[in-house]
Amino acid sequence: MENDVFTFLVGGKAGEGVKKAGSVAAHIFSRMGRYVFEMDDYMSLIRGGHNFSVVSTSTRWISSHYMQANLVVNFDKRSSQTHKDDIAENGIIVFNSDEEEDVDGIGIPLSSEADKYPMKKLMYGVGAVAILASAIGFKKIEMNDIIKNEYPYGIEDNINFANTIYDLVNEECDNKFPLEKGDKERVIITGNESISLGAVAGGLNTYYGYPMTPASTILHFLAKNAKNFGIAVVHAESELAVINMAIGSTFSGAKSMVGTSGGGFALMTEGFSLAGMTEAPVLVVLSQRSGPATGVPTYTEQADLPFALTAGHGDFLRIIASPGTVEEAYYLASEMLALVWKFQTPGILLTEKHLSESSMTVDIKAEDASWAEPKMYTGDNFKRYLNTEDGISPMLFPPSKEVIKWDSYEHDEYGITTENAEQIRIMHEKRGKKIGALINYLKSKKTVNVTPGDNSLNIFTYGSTYMSVLEALKYGDLKPRVIQPIYLNPLPIWELEQFKDQENIVVEQNLTGQFTALLREKVGLEFKKTIKKYDGRPFDPIELHNQLKEVVK
Amino acid sequence: MTEHELKTKAEITWCKGCGNFGIFTAIRNAINKLEERGIKREKFVMTAGIGCHAKIHDYLNISGLYSLHGRDAATAQGMKIANPNLKVIDFSGDGNGLGEGLAHTLFAAKRNQDFTMILHNNSVYALTTGQFSPLTEQGWDGPSTPEGSFEPPFNAISLIIEAGATFVARSFAGKVDHLTEVMIRAIEHEGFSFIEVLQPAVPYHEWSEYNKRIEFLESEPKSKEEALQLARNSHRFTLGVFYEGKRQVYHKALYGDHNPVLNSLSRNERFKKIRKILKE
Repeated sequence: MENDVFTFLVGGKAGEGVKKAGSVAAHIFSRMGRYVFEMDDYMSLIRGGHNFSVVSTSTRWISSHYMQANLVVNFDKRSSQTHKDDIAENGIIVFNSDEEEDVDGIGIPLSSEADKYPMKKLMYGVGAVAILASAIGFKKIEMNDIIKNEYPYGIEDNINFANTIYDLVNEECDNKFPLEKGDKERVIITGNESISLGAVAGGLNTYYGYPMTPASTILHFLAKNAKNFGIAVVHAESELAVINMAIGSTFSGAKSMVGTSGGGFALMTEGFSLAGMTEAPVLVVLSQRSGPATGVPTYTEQADLPFALTAGHGDFLRIIASPGTVEEAYYLASEMLALVWKFQTPGILLTEKHLSESSMTVDIKAEDASWAEPKMYTGDNFKRYLNTEDGISPMLFPPSKEVIKWDSYEHDEYGITTENAEQIRIMHEKRGKKIGALINYLKSKKTVNVTPGDNSLNIFTYGSTYMSVLEALKYGDLKPRVIQPIYLNPLPIWELEQFKDQENIVVEQNLTGQFTALLREKVGLEFKKTIKKYDGRPFDPIELHNQLKEVVK
Repeated sequence: MTEHELKTKAEITWCKGCGNFGIFTAIRNAINKLEERGIKREKFVMTAGIGCHAKIHDYLNISGLYSLHGRDAATAQGMKIANPNLKVIDFSGDGNGLGEGLAHTLFAAKRNQDFTMILHNNSVYALTTGQFSPLTEQGWDGPSTPEGSFEPPFNAISLIIEAGATFVARSFAGKVDHLTEVMIRAIEHEGFSFIEVLQPAVPYHEWSEYNKRIEFLESEPKSKEEALQLARNSHRFTLGVFYEGKRQVYHKALYGDHNPVLNSLSRNERFKKIRKILKE
């Protein structure tokens, strides 16, 4: 464990306030001006099971949680067993002595103390916060302030309980991990909040969704803030409805986004193809989880890349980009909304559970977002599918004196159905011209993140795995270059070709090396190795560091 | 063919004598009359599914989105939610709206989404060579049911009333005046309005079969219960408005008098709100 990072892990059953305790810990650290990364691991159930929250913090930018925690609080036996190896050198384990005996660590009668209050085990999370407060040397008065703000229901009981727990552990924990203050307080947001805010900044008017982890929290966040943002947020009957409603809304001039995971996107592909044909600018957030089929709903994977690249039947332009960090997700969501409107074609913001649902401190400049704005038509004799030089037809929206026809059949410039051979060829080529236009446009944009290193090795990665790789490199003395293509279609070959004939490896989260195959096919890159992970868990920085070291050796 | 006739220049490819011509005439009459009553032409937008019914999208000279098979009711809802000032008309078919798109139709009714669905009921999958549809009477000898279809049909009227629609009627492509009047009432109705239009497909049906069996409701039911009773017990060639009720429409429940497109926040207003959230 690198000593500039402190990690707090809290584990227990769903319904015991595990996630809340993690979130309170994260806020304690951010208020100290420190950087934070929080990962919540939870099962697909409502009550019981085993959930845990890991919060890592440092005075420098941190882009992953560490599974080796300095302070571990286990509410039950299952948590103790699950996390028996997740303890850093000189770390402290606090366990519930009402549940088990003869365990290494500090045992406290968490259950019997909590049973004295009406909220009982709902208070375990408060206990975890009290233990953390003691371990990082907070005075009781500082702790009580936090409890008051963060646990507003039953304040008095919560404070009494927190003080009892604090006293029980303070002899052994007291200021064991004093934390240095950082430079400034930063906001903590999840990837899905960042995506939502980015889309709003880009001009979002309507959002449609059907609940599916890990995209549901976009629907929840936007629904909660709909009135504030003046947008319509609809939970529809299916993903089929979702995508078609979104396309209907774009016809009326609304900037529309939808969100889902693999299974839901499978249903959306029919409408995705409709967006290709009608040239409807609709943005899909595809947050990958462990698949195939229902897979492992609340865990992460990067196995839908080829699916996204070819989603929907027929030949049409799909713009696909994937944010590497929670912060980048904000800018990229707005940029993608702007791009689908500029080029009038559907796009996918490809991400994963690990980015969607992890939280971190960010420095977002709201006004640096892009703004979606279509090219508008002026004059009369409107042709929806006017065949222009770059294939982009200026738009009009109803109500209009001009007749605006969007058509799912092949059509002429007016949007009237055709089966004419010449017309079919012309319209294919018209839509095809947008590919070249988009590539030209992207050449002036940042399409790849390159983190400089020495010339020994290039690590290629995409999406949230970028954060894991960067954190793994903070640990130890490896200095490879890290290359993260933000755009996956069109893939920025013009930026990537320079790495041919160099020592390259890939880090990605799937079994078959989908990203490796894409880079090999499109850019002609050769790779010494692909480091893969497909157990639903994100990489741990130390584990990944050790794997990288093997390759360099 | 003048613009006033609401026809595009597209070649009409319905069979000679098809019931769709009656629906096409009636909707043009209805739009013209509604214009006289003050609804501007440009406020009408349309969508359609896929099938013979949907070809009307190419022929009727108003703005619209030619949707996918069965998805038209979802398209229509998206159009309306984005800009509730629009008058949205959805042309659907029996296979389209009650087969592939059944869920969207039922949910549009459940939500009382403010648009009009005109369901062309030719009781057959005509464009795909005559298979039985969700409204085909039992025993249909089609290419997919060589021994006769054995599924009883839906009762579209009672089904849609039950699902929550607030205007439900049946009319006939051969009674253009009746159909025109029903369309006008449906489009003026605030809420989900549904018209099942009996429409012979000439390769499969005789007009005389329809003309023989058509009858009109003696009087319009006064309550939803009465409407359901009548819809269940009357035969399938009974024309008239079965139900007209009042209930909050979806978009008003969702955002009141707001309009997501017309009242869209400026870029700076958005930044202000985002900054505020990022500070909290």
